Amino acid sequence: MYADYAYLIVALPVLAFLLCLFVGWHLPRGGGFLTVLATFAGLILSLGIFSEIYPDKIIHQSMPWFANFNVGILIDPLALVMLLMVTFVVTLIHIYANGYMNGDPGAARYFAEAALFTASMLGLIFADNLLQLFIFWELVGLCSYLLIGFWYRKPSAAAAAKKAFLTTRVGDVLFLAGIILLYNNLANLNLALKPGEYLLQFPVIYANLAQIAPDQLTLIALGLLGGAVGKSGQFPLHVWLPDAMEGPTTVSAMIHAATMVTAGVYLVARMFPLFYAAPYGLTAVIAVGAFTALFAATMGLTSFDIKRVLAFSTVSQLGFMMAGLGSGAAVGTLAVGVAIFHLIGHSFFKALLFLGAGSIIHAVNTNDLREMGGVGKYMKWTMYTMLIGSLSLAGFPYFTGFFSKDEVILIAYEYGALINMLPYIFLVLAAVLTAIYTFRMWFSVFTGKERSNYAKHESPWIMLGPLVILAVFAFGFGLAAQDDFYKYLDSNFEHYDLDFVELGVIGGHALEGEHGAPAVEGEQGAAAAEAGHGAAAEGEASEGEAGGEEGPGEPWYIQILPIFIALGGILIAGLFYWDRVKKFDPSQVTGDKDPIRKLLLKGYYQHEIMTGWFAETVVYGTALICNTIDIKLVDGWLNWLSALVLGFAQHVRKVQTGIVQNYVTALVLGVVVLVVVITLAKEVGLV
Amino acid sequence: MIPLELYILLASTMFTIGLYGLFTQKNGVKLMMCIELLLNSANINLVAFSAYQPNVNGQVFALFSIALAAAEAGVGFAILIALYRLYGTIDLDNINAMRW
Repeated sequence: MYADYAYLIVALPVLAFLLCLFVGWHLPRGGGFLTVLATFAGLILSLGIFSEIYPDKIIHQSMPWFANFNVGILIDPLALVMLLMVTFVVTLIHIYANGYMNGDPGAARYFAEAALFTASMLGLIFADNLLQLFIFWELVGLCSYLLIGFWYRKPSAAAAAKKAFLTTRVGDVLFLAGIILLYNNLANLNLALKPGEYLLQFPVIYANLAQIAPDQLTLIALGLLGGAVGKSGQFPLHVWLPDAMEGPTTVSAMIHAATMVTAGVYLVARMFPLFYAAPYGLTAVIAVGAFTALFAATMGLTSFDIKRVLAFSTVSQLGFMMAGLGSGAAVGTLAVGVAIFHLIGHSFFKALLFLGAGSIIHAVNTNDLREMGGVGKYMKWTMYTMLIGSLSLAGFPYFTGFFSKDEVILIAYEYGALINMLPYIFLVLAAVLTAIYTFRMWFSVFTGKERSNYAKHESPWIMLGPLVILAVFAFGFGLAAQDDFYKYLDSNFEHYDLDFVELGVIGGHALEGEHGAPAVEGEQGAAAAEAGHGAAAEGEASEGEAGGEEGPGEPWYIQILPIFIALGGILIAGLFYWDRVKKFDPSQVTGDKDPIRKLLLKGYYQHEIMTGWFAETVVYGTALICNTIDIKLVDGWLNWLSALVLGFAQHVRKVQTGIVQNYVTALVLGVVVLVVVITLAKEVGLV
Repeated sequence: MIPLELYILLASTMFTIGLYGLFTQKNGVKLMMCIELLLNSANINLVAFSAYQPNVNGQVFALFSIALAAAEAGVGFAILIALYRLYGTIDLDNINAMRW
């Protein structure tokens, strides 16, 4: 029953968008309640659908659109968990925004754009074909542009919006190229499609992957990965994400937790069979992911803007998700479950952290960590909810982040054991840094002395409520849902006509792993590996005992390492930044002359390289050359042609004298000539 | 019965006079009159042929043509009046705004 109304999940936020846009300013608080209601209805519908199709059904509705394309709704386990997460988190963010945006003159515009943002993301998630996904993907990009530049009178906000739009556009072009390439390859197969089947539908893509040439698959995979890299802020297209902090904090929370950056990870997960079948596809994914995870974590360590710390943390965590997906080369479809689990968990605690940061900024009126300190005395609720979020992000045992992130690290270890250890090392280092920068932030904000004279009050309950709910999930979700979640997502690709053994052979993953060789034995193997992981996770949960039991894959020290990562990181952060146990001053360790410190503070000279060198020299130079060619050559011959026509017309126009007699003469002469010609033609016998 | 040739001669004479007027006259009203001459010469031909054929179609067409000529005269004079109000003259040599 709920499935019949699945389209409402997108339609209602679109309706809210239209209402807020056109009549929002007549409504209290800019019509924010409409946006909340629309999203909440989406949550109810998603829950209804969940109750209907869990655990072994999927929903697929489709109708023709034009030519070889269709519009449709595909809700399988992967889409369903994303739908639930997005509607849930975004509902809370919208509720919070009702408090946060209260009094802003553009509130109606904010809620309209936020509703469209939500609708686009939801449409992206349950699209049943790549073209539809791409359209919503672009809508997400547009909305992010509008929302990041929400305070468009501020030059930095306008610049950040432009940067986000252009940077993601680079990825989108690659994505589109990938889609076109995929379409071409599928069209060349001359498939006998059943009625209701279309080339770019996911089931059709999955079923025919094995027939596409491997080198083409790699090209397609790299194109799609390019799109994901742009949207999910992976290196080297991550530059827009920290700047996206210029928008209202709720926008940051939406972008970072639910509605935008996760789209890239979702795309890779959705197209996982393709990446799996493409030689080097997953290698590229894990390389990008692991590098980004560490790279962004080091930058998060040196930022002084609380929102930028969180932004770099998002980039880093997205790197973890990508690396998790990339580890699929070793563990098969389990990787999808692990990565999406981290995505969902991350969206809970990252939304929590951002909303908490918004609460602080709302009260304190500064973003700068150096001007805060001691905020905890005045904002107890914010402090404790953010503590939960931070512990979760740092991977403190039993918190959501502990289960999700460490599972990523574990499968990266398996990837390492089979293929290459480097991603695992990167991820472990990144995880240590995660704990450090998270608690550097937490200690600097909430503990110690007040470092500036800020307003001292707690935020209203409309803002604290969502924080508390999110905190519950940031703590308990991992513990409650982990095993079922993996099982459920692992079943995702069983609904399709897919053979991972065959795909693995194409992709070169015919691996002989220690545990179950998942790629070789296909679903059975994957299931075996999954079971092994369940045990591994339980082993972790019971801490030291796991050492004796010996999980199926990893040695005991690998399994308990994550606990020490989290605790060690928090300890290090505490020694530097918590005034009660402070042992070191950051300035003792690194002086101003220290090259590493300088490198990090400068953000790896990315601005200098990307803007100063690449944009202003290379791109601008190329643009100048193109401009010259355009003006001299392309425009040149066109101008010449139009000048020719104009010159001719200058003479011909004199025919129009404006004197009636001349026209009459012409008319009569014309008739006479016609008569003469026709008569002559008759004489000769032509007519 | 008057021979058909005479009707045709009359009609062609009228047509030529009309055409000559169109070429030479500059006054708008005179031009209208010349156009009437052209139309009516055609009407004479239609009626004459119709009477000799014998077929009533030609006379019906002549009636259409007269109605058309009336409408044309109405529109034409309206334009001329408007022109006169604008320029103070209906000498068509002076009215040449619609040229290059």
